[in-house]
Amino acid sequence: MSILNRKLVRELRDSWGMLLAIVSIIAVGVACFVAMGSSYGNLQRSKQDYYDQCRMPDFWIDLKKAPLAEIEALGSVPGVAAIRPRIRFAATISLPDVTKPLNAMVLSMPDRREPVLADIVLRQGGYFTDRRENEVIVNDAFARHHNLAPGDWIHLVLNNRREELFIVGTAIASEFAYLLGPGAIVPDPEHFGVFYLKRTYAEGVFDFDGAANEVIGRLAGTNEAERAVHEARVLQHAERLLQPYGVIATTPLAEQVSNQYLAQEIEGLRIFALFMPAVFLAVAALVLNVLLSRLADQQRMVVGTLKALGYSNAQVFVHFLKFGTTVGVIGGLTGCAAGYWLADAMTEIYREFFEFPNLVSHFFVGLHGTGLAISIACAVVGSLRGTRAVLRLEPAAAMRPKPPRQGGAVLLERLGWLWTRLSSGWRIVVRSTVRSHTRTAAGVFAAAMGSAVLVSGFMMAKATDYLVDFQFRWIQRSDVDLVFKDERDADALDEARRLPAVDAAEPVLNAAGTFYHGHREKKGGITGLLPGARLTVPRDRQARAVRIPAAGLAMSRTLADILDVQPGQSVTFRPAKGLRRERQVPVVEIADSYMGTAVYADIHYLSRLIGEEFAISGVQLAVDPRPMQVDALYRELRELPALQGIHSRHDLIAKIQETVIEHMAVFIGFLVLFAGVVFFGSILNASLVSLAERQRELATLRVLGYGPWQIGSLMLRESLIVTLAGTLLGMPLGYLLTVLMALAYESEMFRFPVVSGPDVYLATLVLGLVFTLLAHLFVQRSIHQTDWLEALQAKE
Amino acid sequence: MSQESNNAPHDVLLRLEAVDKTFTMGEVEVLAARRVSLDIRAAELLVMVGPSGSGKTTLLNLVGGLDSPSAGRLFFRNREMTAWSQAELTQYRRDSVGFVFQFYNLVPNLTAVENVMVATELSRDPMDPLDALTKVGLAERADHFPAQLSGGEQQRVSIARAIAKNPELLLCDEPTGALDFETGKRVLRLLVDLRNEFGTTIVVITHNTAIAGAADRVVHLRSGEITELERNERPLPPEEIVW
Repeated sequence: MSILNRKLVRELRDSWGMLLAIVSIIAVGVACFVAMGSSYGNLQRSKQDYYDQCRMPDFWIDLKKAPLAEIEALGSVPGVAAIRPRIRFAATISLPDVTKPLNAMVLSMPDRREPVLADIVLRQGGYFTDRRENEVIVNDAFARHHNLAPGDWIHLVLNNRREELFIVGTAIASEFAYLLGPGAIVPDPEHFGVFYLKRTYAEGVFDFDGAANEVIGRLAGTNEAERAVHEARVLQHAERLLQPYGVIATTPLAEQVSNQYLAQEIEGLRIFALFMPAVFLAVAALVLNVLLSRLADQQRMVVGTLKALGYSNAQVFVHFLKFGTTVGVIGGLTGCAAGYWLADAMTEIYREFFEFPNLVSHFFVGLHGTGLAISIACAVVGSLRGTRAVLRLEPAAAMRPKPPRQGGAVLLERLGWLWTRLSSGWRIVVRSTVRSHTRTAAGVFAAAMGSAVLVSGFMMAKATDYLVDFQFRWIQRSDVDLVFKDERDADALDEARRLPAVDAAEPVLNAAGTFYHGHREKKGGITGLLPGARLTVPRDRQARAVRIPAAGLAMSRTLADILDVQPGQSVTFRPAKGLRRERQVPVVEIADSYMGTAVYADIHYLSRLIGEEFAISGVQLAVDPRPMQVDALYRELRELPALQGIHSRHDLIAKIQETVIEHMAVFIGFLVLFAGVVFFGSILNASLVSLAERQRELATLRVLGYGPWQIGSLMLRESLIVTLAGTLLGMPLGYLLTVLMALAYESEMFRFPVVSGPDVYLATLVLGLVFTLLAHLFVQRSIHQTDWLEALQAKE
Repeated sequence: MSQESNNAPHDVLLRLEAVDKTFTMGEVEVLAARRVSLDIRAAELLVMVGPSGSGKTTLLNLVGGLDSPSAGRLFFRNREMTAWSQAELTQYRRDSVGFVFQFYNLVPNLTAVENVMVATELSRDPMDPLDALTKVGLAERADHFPAQLSGGEQQRVSIARAIAKNPELLLCDEPTGALDFETGKRVLRLLVDLRNEFGTTIVVITHNTAIAGAADRVVHLRSGEITELERNERPLPPEEIVW
């Protein structure tokens, strides 16, 4: 090893404390980059493979009922590559030892195995056989949760009849990679399952001979761009063609629920993979800059001597650069290893949410290489300034002691009345903070980034809580929702009121249809409620109840924006069922919601709109919460064949709590850890550098009678000023960041509320201070260990 | 103007022509060298004496190519140094000059022998670093770090480092300043031997006028100007010098 390299190794060893701080910050940055990037790659790759394997459709069209012959015509529309009609219904499941309501989606599949659109991937057992009509394939997660296996029998209520089905296999499918039950935002495989029936059996049981109520299709074209060209035109064409049969919804792939959640997650990873590392690596570069400037400064004499001995500028430059590069390499490698491990853990979490045939953690060589390169680049950039400053000096000048720093008055001193009230300790602190402006700026920047990360993390946690409260406690207030297979009259409501444990029952009417306003149109539906309904309460942005108008609509802001309609204007609504007569409907109120594009109307008004006297499609119940009572209700409900769905709000919230909120806690934990590394690392580094720079000054203070704790207090006060300034600056930054993230995540289906509060900022401030104090413990130890007599004699 | 100086006598190694050097210290301008003209002859022992602030170190730095003059010209073997690029100056320092610094300038986290190696690694035809240390009587302290050596020992490491690359020109800034009488004399003997043995040109700056007794010529400096140039007909052997 060359002598200069030997010198380098010893210097690295001697300043390990400061280096550790920087290495950790770089490592966190690279780990984020690699983890998010790998997860992105893992999900993206698995998704693509899965979509190809299952022949994922490009569009879904929900119909009331259409003859197969008519649907076939769609296959010859230009731009359509393939279609498949199928039968799709909601159903309830009854399992012998489960009292809670279980809901199902039932889909038809060809009787014999053949390559079809929206195919399934078998996990256990096999495909349908010729032995029985009533064979069923169950989605794998539901089967796992209820210990169902091929060879078991299961009961489903299909078309008002309780049917016994024989399980031949379990399967997963790409269109349900993220499987949501009605109204849910997280998968709940315990309470919701998908069941595949033989086509001929489904036709019989639902009275759908030679008919279907859903068409799925693929568009012509080899890539997304080509298919996108066809999409709008094909869907319009299809709608015209199938109009007589009641088009309830047309869903392009981009709006398909599972795909949308998956795409959003993937996009989120991409954003995070770029943003988070950028923050950490910028901080690391700045902190390294401070350290290297100090190191180069401290080695003026050595630099001068090396040059006097005949070392060229390039040789000296490379020597100092190696210092930064080593830091970059160590940080990068640590980050890559940590990132790979994190990606593995994240992929494990994704397996809980997403059902994939083959979601494993891959090792992306390019990504790790890029992570390493970025970390080295950032370390080198961080090293440049300090190194260059020394190189610019002539060797003779480098060997002369550095001229004393200019010691003019700082701005604060002009505020005479304040300055004179400051103790000499505070004056030292203020002057030192102001004069080492690069170091102070680096510290403030680091603290600001740490604080921004914390604020946005806490705001996200708060937003999740708020969203759940808003959606499932304030808007939806019922305990149990019953959905009928067909529309019913007022008698059904009376029946529901007589069920055990029911405290209150309110009717609901859901009418699917299309809204038109000017050249804009949007498929959706209207929810009819009783005026003054208490179990579903539309809200405005401030969570105040929105009145349901006697005539007209209370429309969600998202839909109003899509249709570009203001309160007081009218839209055209064409129901998908019944007479399908277009009607002009005034928009009276605007309601807010973070999910979907709900529209509310008075149930009587809506009934008339679809040409009925008084129709209900479901009932919402407020229920006596005692378990015995609830069980009694559930037992009774199981005997009602006319129900298409039974939804418990408690189960829904419990599931959200269990998955989203727990994972949010892990996520926040990581953010706090990462932010802590930034605070701790930058403060530790800045303090140690300051300590080294001011040895003589502080030694003089020691001689004058200052104790180690008093010296420490000077350093601590500087750190606190920096932390405080940075944390406060970072708060609006964090808020802004959350707003940007909410915008990035915004979709028709889902919006992220921006909620903050004093607790967010207080927690950030407290954490910032705690990390600063932790870093100061190390600084204080270093102060106690310094030999001040030696420091006093040392010449700079 | 020609870069060559044709009228330089044959034995002149280094020539200074009307050299000025000004430093700016904050808002004050300090003239550290004022119209200095001087020939340094090959294989001579030249001693510069003067009180502190007289510009001795400044001249030494200019001669060693560590600093550039504000005005005037320098020639090394008739080549104009003041026209050299940074790379040429580096090459000059690497191949032709050895420095002994007043404050030793050792790299703190390298041992004595490693500090010598810092120089020999660059050199085309260096001494063995241990031989160099042996010459200054420090072979047994080769693996000590500067912090473990006395001032005199550090100075001797610095000398070993300077001589290890066999320079044509050895520049010594107060080489005996921090040493006791006996060690000082040993160091001086070392320098004289070096001149005698290898024909090395040696420039020593000091405020210790006694050392001047051993010199071939003595330059007296005051306020950046040469006040007197003295030729020593019979230089004393270092052993006979007393201070």
